[in-house]
Amino acid sequence: MSTKPKVSVYKLSSCAGCQLEFLNLEPVLLDLVGAIEFSYFPMARRRYEPGPYDIGFVEGAVTCGEEIERLKKARQECRVLVALGSCACYGGLPSIKNWTPERVIVSRVYENPALVHSIKAYGIDEYVQVDAYLKGCPVNKDELVEFIKGTLLGIRPRLRPHSVCVECKLNEYECISVIKREPCMGPVTTAGCGALCPSRGKACDGCRGPANDANAESLARTFSEYGLHRSDIVRRFRKFAGLTQEFSRGADAV
Amino acid sequence: MAVTKSSPVPDMVVLSGELWQGFLELVTGQYRVIGPVRRGSEHVFAPIKNPREIDMAYVTTILPPKKVFHQPFQVLFSFDTEEGTLAEAQSGEEKVVWGIHPCDMHAIAILDKVYGVEYPDPYYLRNRENTIIVAKNCTEVGENCFCLSMGTGPALRSGCDLLLTDLGGRYLVEVGTEKGRKLLSGLELVPAPRVVLVEKEKRLSQARQKFKKRMVTQGIQELLEENFRHPIWEELMRECLACGSCTMVCPTCFCYNVVDKIDLDLKTGRRQREWDSCMLLEYAQVALGQNFRRDRDARIKQRMYHKLLYYEPQFGTLGCVGCGRCIGACVKRIDITDVVSRLAESVESDR
Repeated sequence: MSTKPKVSVYKLSSCAGCQLEFLNLEPVLLDLVGAIEFSYFPMARRRYEPGPYDIGFVEGAVTCGEEIERLKKARQECRVLVALGSCACYGGLPSIKNWTPERVIVSRVYENPALVHSIKAYGIDEYVQVDAYLKGCPVNKDELVEFIKGTLLGIRPRLRPHSVCVECKLNEYECISVIKREPCMGPVTTAGCGALCPSRGKACDGCRGPANDANAESLARTFSEYGLHRSDIVRRFRKFAGLTQEFSRGADAV
Repeated sequence: MAVTKSSPVPDMVVLSGELWQGFLELVTGQYRVIGPVRRGSEHVFAPIKNPREIDMAYVTTILPPKKVFHQPFQVLFSFDTEEGTLAEAQSGEEKVVWGIHPCDMHAIAILDKVYGVEYPDPYYLRNRENTIIVAKNCTEVGENCFCLSMGTGPALRSGCDLLLTDLGGRYLVEVGTEKGRKLLSGLELVPAPRVVLVEKEKRLSQARQKFKKRMVTQGIQELLEENFRHPIWEELMRECLACGSCTMVCPTCFCYNVVDKIDLDLKTGRRQREWDSCMLLEYAQVALGQNFRRDRDARIKQRMYHKLLYYEPQFGTLGCVGCGRCIGACVKRIDITDVVSRLAESVESDR
């Protein structure tokens, strides 16, 4: 019987891209497997070991009653429960449906809506207590490893709480907003991705949700000055984390 | 008199054409050179492989050359908790920083006080000692530059190893230190006539006419002390995104955070420091979540008051050198010179 800390990975409504990042950790995957035991990880292992688990990662938004049941069970069997990715943190991409009546959304997608029992998409902390949030679409691999190391050592992992701008400046990427006058979500979005999109000359999409003290209203006014239509501003703030207090203020600002 | 193989290097030379190219090739061939290069529509200080990469006409850079001395990320030491050992990070080889403007030179002089006097910082000082600085006077002025009103430009008087001035197709090179003189050795040089200084002064006074931005520095301390509760701070609180860009690009900001980068074996790792910023909410947060500067306006004031008021008693100088980077980097176009002017105007109209 292994004495390594036991880790479980659950999936709710999501694209599986965040748990795939575990496998994309290839260069350190063997070291990681040396440090922890993936006891429940259906995407990677056929064999499951029963709980309790030391760390549980939950991917995806909650979009139906059955998922609430599974989530509550996951909470019970995990010492530390982590929201893995923006869907689990805030509702993520599935949450864009929340501003349209459920009936309309369901009939747009499914042939027989009577078979679907979906509810509004929320992050997992709507239903259970969450110990940590790993933001992003998908999560950042370095942050994921940083989190696991911190948890194993019993110290607070360093997850950057500030804006993407800080990482943009540290890496001296050309400012998408000031130079190109493109609507970049960087100033109000949590860093930790290494300013990935701006490093490729693309405006930040806000996938990591609101940064510390995000002033979304002010940024929305700037987007408006850049010529963005009100509906586009709303879409920007609702794409990944529209349910958060900060980004909903941005969506309502103009 | 001792006989030397090459002729002695004069204090002042004028280089142009092949001689200037020869000088650039000599320096880039012998040293690791960090100089201004183009990145997109902006500039950055970056390692130079080919002298042609250097853009001498740059106006400003995203990060100041401070980053060579006070690095955004610097490993302090590596450790092994099982062996109980520490290994201090090795210092880099001797390098040349090329084309630093006077404002940034003044900023480095301020950092020398911060990191060199009361609590000497070995990492900063080591980076400083093994670097040769080639400064460049400004004959062109950027839209956000206001060094003239801060007394930090466009001309540099001291502090560098070599000083360049663009005389239009040819460069005046003035020797500041013996370290700087070393860079010129190996070239066949004749001393420049004194009259070239007249030409230099002409270029610099032309530059002085080009400034569009200025900072009201007269009575600035009193102005700030008396307007701590001015409505302008509330307005800035609504505008400011608290993104931290202004402080990240500032050449005199010196705050850092120290973090441990631990390897997956959970036994070895590196302790490193990285730039931190008083504009960020978590900066003033302490145990149990208490935060001394929770409100955005408190952080905006901290930044501006530190530069313009608190620096003087700490370091005997204002903390702003007028490089204008914070203005250029701000998505909301918050302008420190504008804030001060507006304060001054409102006080004036109250009288």
